[in-house]
Amino acid sequence: MDFELSEDQSTIRKSVAELAARFDDQYWMEKDERHEFPSEFYEAVASAGWLGLTTPEEYGGHGYGITEASLLLEEVSASGGGMNAASAIHLSIFGMHPVIVHGSDQMKKENLPRIVAGDLHVCFGVTEPGAGLDTTRITTFAKRDGSDYVVNGRKVWISKAQESEKILLLTRTAKFEDSPKKTAGLTLFFTDLNRDAVDIRPIRKMGRNAISSNELFIDDLRIPEEDRVGEEGQGFKYILDGLNPERMLIAAEALGLGRAALRRAVRYGNEREVFGRPIGMNQGLQFPLADSLAHLDAAELSLRKATWLYDQGLPCAREANTAKYLCADAGFTAADRALQTHGGMGYAEEYHVARYFREARLLRIAPISQEMVLNFLGEHVLGMPRSY
Amino acid sequence: MQWTLSEEQVAYQEALRGWLGATAPSAVLRSWLDAGDVETFQRSFAAAGWSGVGIPEELAGQGGGLVELALTCEELGRSAAPSAGWLATVLAVPALSGRKDLLAAALAGPGVALLLPAEQVPATARPLPLSSDGTLSGEIPRVLAGGSAARFVVPAVAPDGVLQLRLVDAGAQQVHLSARTLLDRSRSVTDVRLAAAPSEPLDVDASAVLAEASDRAALLVAADALGASERMLELAVEYSKQRHQFGVPIGSFQAVKHAAASMLVGIEAARSVTYYAAASVDAQGADSSMHAAATKAQVTADAARAADTALTMHGAIGYTWEHDLHLFYKRVKLDERLAGSPAAWNERLADALQLV
Repeated sequence: MDFELSEDQSTIRKSVAELAARFDDQYWMEKDERHEFPSEFYEAVASAGWLGLTTPEEYGGHGYGITEASLLLEEVSASGGGMNAASAIHLSIFGMHPVIVHGSDQMKKENLPRIVAGDLHVCFGVTEPGAGLDTTRITTFAKRDGSDYVVNGRKVWISKAQESEKILLLTRTAKFEDSPKKTAGLTLFFTDLNRDAVDIRPIRKMGRNAISSNELFIDDLRIPEEDRVGEEGQGFKYILDGLNPERMLIAAEALGLGRAALRRAVRYGNEREVFGRPIGMNQGLQFPLADSLAHLDAAELSLRKATWLYDQGLPCAREANTAKYLCADAGFTAADRALQTHGGMGYAEEYHVARYFREARLLRIAPISQEMVLNFLGEHVLGMPRSY
Repeated sequence: MQWTLSEEQVAYQEALRGWLGATAPSAVLRSWLDAGDVETFQRSFAAAGWSGVGIPEELAGQGGGLVELALTCEELGRSAAPSAGWLATVLAVPALSGRKDLLAAALAGPGVALLLPAEQVPATARPLPLSSDGTLSGEIPRVLAGGSAARFVVPAVAPDGVLQLRLVDAGAQQVHLSARTLLDRSRSVTDVRLAAAPSEPLDVDASAVLAEASDRAALLVAADALGASERMLELAVEYSKQRHQFGVPIGSFQAVKHAAASMLVGIEAARSVTYYAAASVDAQGADSSMHAAATKAQVTADAARAADTALTMHGAIGYTWEHDLHLFYKRVKLDERLAGSPAAWNERLADALQLV
């Protein structure tokens, strides 16, 4: 057993941290307040070549695994950039997985190098108002029309749709009730997000405001057959491949956010004096922070194990879910305690922990709620009856 | 709105506390527990006139209601007194409302016990089948104070399907007792087997009586847990001032102070809810059973947590036999289970909320 990062991994971690440090908390606070995409940060990450971290070398990337991707996103988040920073690049780093595995050569050749270069923004269109985690119940329908498909429907909670030129879009090509299995009849496309046919409306929300979350109203969106990923009716399977890596990356982002919050809390605890001594001298403040350190460290180990398993090609669903669960909780708890440590100042934007808190809360909901993780572990790991 | 005890109630509480301190101090209590003697206490408790407080005068008591009974239970819990025999009798009082002749004797001890498992909500107990000749057969495990009761009140179902309460003489030869050992030695349970035991009917509405017994059990067990928690907090605070580490009393450590403060918050909440519910059940308000349910679920669960906190504050000394903490620790751990667990009572609340 070896807990050491490889030389490459250490280098990645250090270099990303250095790059991310160029964008301070002030930068992220302003982007968040203005609801403005962090283009400068995105450009910096792209021009340093990081967007292609996991893309195969033949398409201009570096061909690294999920471990390296998780280190990258963790550092970006831990810099204080949090979810605004992570979500700006998250999909470019790993979201194209279904295209890489199942897309046509033509599709890959046309798109992957552009994503690596940062020139092509993409978003991920799965969830719908009537179907959150119950993915097979989506109703957005792609109807054959000659060699094209014509799509109608609605999507919700589509991150970065505003900024995206293309969308990885999950549809039904056969209705739920007409499909032999509930997972059948779903088809995946990677296509232009044509504004003439798609109305994109941002959702007002609690945090992570530099990155939009949107509702999409799709009205006769015409998609050529070439934009279909893999075979018709196989979309669910293609998406499924990406769920575990997605959980691990979100876990890494939650972990980074927890680290950022803890760093701020410790600094404030050491600096701020009340009753003639630093407030960090109070056990009531010091113990919760020490406890959060222990929980973040433990959550980190579960994440490292999960990404290692995935990169070895081994089953990792149990570990990916566990990592998401533990990192999201540890990250949120650290953010909550950081806010408490700051007292009234924690509620002020200028100390930044309020922003971390709002973002950390998201990770107990997305991309899958903590409760659904427990459902997975209860049913598929412990072998108990499905509870929902 | 006035939420204080009356002067009379406060005087009662102080007098009982004083009496318990003099009659059942730790050394005496321990000698009873070591000898498995529950009768000495029950006898002196009755002789001193405490056992009838909270029982209406027309039922051979000394007057007062559930608030007075809760005060009694709080004090009994506070001193970990061997009170199971008295509690079992108090729970059975509604069943004997037509039998004043038996009540006076029961309050003087030996008492009466409801024949149902001690860990069950009384209203959910499974009745025994009543034979056409009026005898009862069956085994009921873990009956509270089943070993010291003179009579049992037995939920039974007649061949016509009607629920009844029947009275069985515990001394009859068809009644077989088998004592159980509890970790909490201040209470006792006994497995009771009836083999065609003769019984006589009690002229009461059985369902209503069992519902009332459930409310009473919930409240009084909660009050017991409240008293034991108070005592554990006192012990823990006292110890934290006495015990020094790193040159200072451990009570000067914030983490220790906060632990004690959290216990106090729980105790204050417990007191508020317990006495409110006692008054509510006495007044037979529309939601009084819900108040009793919330009290049992909240107070006994919190007391069980408080016990763990108290043990942590004591460190290893709290784990020893010589220190008194374990008397109260075990007391509240049993209170959590007695007359239905918090989960069982929460389930009743959930049912009342008409959730899906």
